[in-house]
Amino acid sequence: MAIILHVDDSSFSRLQIGKVLKNGGHEIIPADNGKSALELLRTTTPDLIISDILMPDMDGITFLEILRNRGNTIPIIMVTADVQKDTETICLALGASALFNKPPNGDDLLAAIVQALGKGV
Amino acid sequence: MAIITDDLMDALREIINIGVGKAAGTLNELLAHHITLEVPRIVIIHSNDLGEHISKRSEETLSLVTLPFSGQFSGLSTLLFSMDSASKLVDMLMGEEIPVGDLDAIKTGTLTEIGNILLNAVVGSIGNILNSRLSYSIPTYHVGSLRNILLPILQQESEALEVTTRFTVQSRHITGEILLLFKVGSFDSFIEALETAING
Repeated sequence: MAIILHVDDSSFSRLQIGKVLKNGGHEIIPADNGKSALELLRTTTPDLIISDILMPDMDGITFLEILRNRGNTIPIIMVTADVQKDTETICLALGASALFNKPPNGDDLLAAIVQALGKGV
Repeated sequence: MAIITDDLMDALREIINIGVGKAAGTLNELLAHHITLEVPRIVIIHSNDLGEHISKRSEETLSLVTLPFSGQFSGLSTLLFSMDSASKLVDMLMGEEIPVGDLDAIKTGTLTEIGNILLNAVVGSIGNILNSRLSYSIPTYHVGSLRNILLPILQQESEALEVTTRFTVQSRHITGEILLLFKVGSFDSFIEALETAING
């Protein structure tokens, strides 16, 4: 079981992905954009972060970039509707563990979480 | 403005088909129901006619999600549903899992995210084929007639390429429409990218 910070502005996606995470036995801390996730990280240390990309106030790529620039090594998995090939390249180069397009396959997402937790950054 | 030859139009239709096919595949995964697609209709509209063209559309109140995109080419992608289809779609997606809360907010949130996912699938697939990286603005949900919603957004547009395609979840009588409006100015860049993709 891991504590997962799930960052997504969509209540629909938080519900759908949250169901997958709960079925995998994980505890979820929700946040609705990168800015509020950064605030939460001042007082919370999750084992892993799952982040959307296109969000108001602070998008997922900026959030990822800020975390890595601060030396934060918590594994991050991106889950996004953006199907562009280089979006994945950009996220992996910034230190994301994996990228899934929405809607992610539940089993694949849970497997990626296990792999990311084992590997770290 | 670039001239669209028959070959270019054919390539454009095929690229749009691939993008819409990707969106239909995504909707199929979400709903576990077969999605039927129609061949896209492509129209070039001049700025002076854009308002009139949109105004000719039905005055029916619709459920719309808009997702602006920009990059080598720019424009507005829109997902449209009748109010009835939008309600059926939310019911199918949420099933009995509708959480306690404001039903309108849940419906809005669900439809906005569906629009985000489907429109990204269409526009992103087109960008991938044309090797053009695009940026997106936040998707927005609207309720109203197409004219009342789109005309204020499109006021600053010049000529546009309108691509319309319909998809249906036949078993549930849900029909949606994807409307792409490419700004001219960036439209020429779009055609250049298309020519490059065709000719290598």
